[in-house]
Amino acid sequence: MNELAQKLSTGQVTSVELVEYYLDQIRSRDGEIGAFLHVDEQGALESARAADARRRAGRPLSPWDGIPVAVKDNICTVGMPTTCASRMLRGYYSPFDAEVVERLKQAGLPILGKTNLDEFAMGSSTEYSAYHVTRNPHDLSRVPGGSSGGSAAAVAAGLAPWALGTDTGGSIRQPAAFCGIVGFKPTYGRVSRWGLVALASSMDQIGPMAATVEDAEALFSLIAGGDHRDSTSAPQAEYVLPEEIPDCLEGVRVGVPEEFFGNGVAEEVAAKVKAAVKLLEGLGAEVRPISLPHSTYAIDTYLTLVTAEASSNLARYDGVRYGLRVAAADAAAMFKQTRTQGFGHEVKRRIMLGTYVLTASHHEAYYQQACKVRALITQDLENAFRQVHLIVTPTTPSTAFRIGEKQDPLQMYLSDQFTATANLAGVPALTMPCGRDKLGLPIGVQLMADHFQDGLLFTAGRLLERALKEAEAVGQL
Amino acid sequence: MISRSEVIRMAELARLELSEAEIVQYQEDLNRFLRSGAALRQVDTSGVDLITYVGRAPTRMRADHVEPSLPQAKALSNGPQVVDGYFRVPRVMEDAE
Repeated sequence: MNELAQKLSTGQVTSVELVEYYLDQIRSRDGEIGAFLHVDEQGALESARAADARRRAGRPLSPWDGIPVAVKDNICTVGMPTTCASRMLRGYYSPFDAEVVERLKQAGLPILGKTNLDEFAMGSSTEYSAYHVTRNPHDLSRVPGGSSGGSAAAVAAGLAPWALGTDTGGSIRQPAAFCGIVGFKPTYGRVSRWGLVALASSMDQIGPMAATVEDAEALFSLIAGGDHRDSTSAPQAEYVLPEEIPDCLEGVRVGVPEEFFGNGVAEEVAAKVKAAVKLLEGLGAEVRPISLPHSTYAIDTYLTLVTAEASSNLARYDGVRYGLRVAAADAAAMFKQTRTQGFGHEVKRRIMLGTYVLTASHHEAYYQQACKVRALITQDLENAFRQVHLIVTPTTPSTAFRIGEKQDPLQMYLSDQFTATANLAGVPALTMPCGRDKLGLPIGVQLMADHFQDGLLFTAGRLLERALKEAEAVGQL
Repeated sequence: MISRSEVIRMAELARLELSEAEIVQYQEDLNRFLRSGAALRQVDTSGVDLITYVGRAPTRMRADHVEPSLPQAKALSNGPQVVDGYFRVPRVMEDAE
């Protein structure tokens, strides 16, 4: 993206040309991929013209002024629909921009459109969108992952240079891994959620998805920062790009938790991730085995909490103030009919489960117990980060699965088993491609660090990216 | 085990109407989910304080000064039925006899 920024600043390319290029790509390829729910040609071109005028006047808003971006459709945008891929919000236009969208606009980024997701971000394949499925650009018979599958596919297919996703249990990292791109879940509190349609407020974060670690870092620097409208956003949230990065990882200790390489992990995935660990070692990092004993409970803990929080957050959809309303004789019937017709199966399943674990008679056994195990999982990480600076794991147990392959919701949920830990503990996590399996499908490696050590992940990620490229060039991978 | 009547009760609480097929399906799904999560309930958490918030920074208070809020017209702009500056809903209470 630095190259693109350079070309824009020297006038070799204009923002209008860039936006037209991506709109062309979308027109010619998105019919088969289905990454977008809405494309805003006019708005994007208008923003591009304004960016070009600023460049000509020598007053760009940022180094990235005029580089377009795609935004996941659960993030509010003025002038474009925000549907969360749900029938409930068909035709909904937010009266305000999300804080992250305001920040992108302040940096001069034209918004190409809104990308597909699993309805209300509940899913791991983007098959649960109420509108259409999104296909993996590496193999159109496979899912792009989810829930930010539209953003991941758009970047992987070159329909957008970068995109915003959201991550509650892995929804940025899992699709990024499946599509062979970089995805980053920031430290909880680093990015404002004002204007993000809530799924599970104790875990939701917005983050960047891009082709390279450097690009993801640049996009992150644009959206990070405190916001008085999100009381969970941290005062020290701003992120300044480093002027230079070290050329090795000497003094950095890397932990490899055995629990993430066991049963259910595809051999090729484990092998490529271990090869990436070797490269980190080659960069000077000290690698040691660690243990996160409670991580085996992460997915069940996550599911208990995400369904509980979702059932509460989605209570707002009652047909009164926005979204679908199904006419009925009285208000109670209207609420019920609206929700019954507006929500898809997976959303209803999670609301049902969340309602169950929150009822008075089950609250202690299910919800409270999950909150306690969450504390244990968090303690495991605290202990680990006293010994190591980074934790390296596979991002997902397998590569992208086929569309329609996972009919069993429990199997689908397992796709997030390695990513949910970071959300439960609030720590930042990065995924980046580290090779391909025999079918040519991308494999992702996940790096986690302690709270507010987001920068270390980008530094290590950039060095690893370079080392992977060199290793590939000499045929070691 | 979640019984059929519990499934119906959950749907009632969540303001959802389930078809017969959905009742059967969700009963099975919920039971499978709870069975698979059985190990979670066996974890020894005695003496562990539950956590609901993982941010390292304390949630912050906003300065107590008046700021412009969403204008009424915008707040109403997505209303399914708006009358005289209000959201209109079907009747909530029965007529008095």
